[in-house]
Amino acid sequence: MKKVLFAALVAVSALSATAQRFLAKETYIRFFSSTPVEDVEATTSTAVAVWDRATGEVAFQVSIKSFTFEKALMQEHFNENYLHSDKYPKATFKGKLTDAAAVNWDIDGTYSAQLKGTMNIHGVEKVIVVPATVVIKDKAPSLSSKFKVKCVDYNIEIPTVVFAKIAEEIEVTVKAKFDVIKS
Amino acid sequence: MRVFFLVLFVAVSAPLLAQEDLFSMLDAAQGPVKKAPVAATFKGTRVVNLQTNELPASGVGQLIISHRFGTINDRPLYNFLGLDVAQMRLEYSYSPAHWLNLGLGRSSGNKTYDAFAKVRFLRQKQDGMPLSALYYHSTNLNSTDFNDGVNHYFTDRIAFTHQLILARKWSDEFSFEVAPTVVHFNLVGTPSDPNDQYGIGLGGRYKLTDRMALTAEYFARVHRPDGFYDPLSVGLDMETGGHVFQFHVSNARYMNDPSWMMLTPGSWGKGDLYFGFNLSRVFTHRAPKMAKEIEVL
Repeated sequence: MKKVLFAALVAVSALSATAQRFLAKETYIRFFSSTPVEDVEATTSTAVAVWDRATGEVAFQVSIKSFTFEKALMQEHFNENYLHSDKYPKATFKGKLTDAAAVNWDIDGTYSAQLKGTMNIHGVEKVIVVPATVVIKDKAPSLSSKFKVKCVDYNIEIPTVVFAKIAEEIEVTVKAKFDVIKS
Repeated sequence: MRVFFLVLFVAVSAPLLAQEDLFSMLDAAQGPVKKAPVAATFKGTRVVNLQTNELPASGVGQLIISHRFGTINDRPLYNFLGLDVAQMRLEYSYSPAHWLNLGLGRSSGNKTYDAFAKVRFLRQKQDGMPLSALYYHSTNLNSTDFNDGVNHYFTDRIAFTHQLILARKWSDEFSFEVAPTVVHFNLVGTPSDPNDQYGIGLGGRYKLTDRMALTAEYFARVHRPDGFYDPLSVGLDMETGGHVFQFHVSNARYMNDPSWMMLTPGSWGKGDLYFGFNLSRVFTHRAPKMAKEIEVL
């Protein structure tokens, strides 16, 4: 009986060790649209992300209204005319590393990986695969990724009058630094 | 044995707990969503002549170039519906804070210079404050030559407008505002005209598409002398990036506040109508602070 109990306890503690979750509170996201006529940039550092070590799942969430543009009117148009943020206040991503073994959580270092998951922008869901760099330091991960998003994929319409100023593909940069969640 | 089941239960449920939706964790991490101010009640800072609750963002300046053409019923073909004769207004304003806008203007009609201030003290919020409230003031200087042979004080040239603007965005498409107003004329046309003249402005817009809206405004006067009419304007707003084009038709040709509000000689009934447009362009003098990039490597 005691042996069984002990074994079960070991199993539980082992499970909880790998069931660690990490939270990135001040995640940075940047949009960048570049055309010969105009470059447009928007940033936020109030996105959040969570990484579940046990399941390997990573999730991001950002409030559309939190993005700051260099020009206030662009920000208004972004919310009002392009992303319709009253109707779709958040953009989200939920996915996993395509190869979990690519990252060794116990050895500090920089690992190249790939994230595959579902992106939700403007109320439209799309499965995407993006490259990611994972840095492990003191058993806590950081993640950065740079990828392109096509406006048309998410039903974001760009009218012909501003067609020259807004790129069809927007470059997105994500940087998240995770801390372990103490429960 | 009971202990064993308890332990087994814990062992099984631990990974189950891990399945709890990650997004609910993220919602918790992000905290309660701040009540966001309602944006873009109107496309422009004016409906046509009437001020709206909008002002340029903090650190942003706005240039407005306005034209009012000649009346469309005065030899319409010869004057090409009035387009041969235009009055114009130039205006530049700047917002040192998101709630304050200060500006200067010059209008052709009565060669009027004006300085104005707009102060927003209530802002409509989602699931909160139901309307926006602003105070608007303009001081106007009529610089035309006096030709009545009377010696005038300089102050005779001046008139003041005070206005309370109450605006609400009722839906994505429809916005409406009410603007009780008093205009003080230091000098009035006849002894029977009061120096303080009251009125109420009504303005609305209906959005047709993301970038196009129908607008209308009406100004109801309390003092109604013969020969002057309440101004009524209907327009179309078009937005293209940094510009807003406002095309309209109105019985008011003046663009300075005291004159268009209280001294509109044109009448819709007689067909004294004017085509016109306002064209606005914003300039960012002080850019908003961008989010700081974090170091991950």
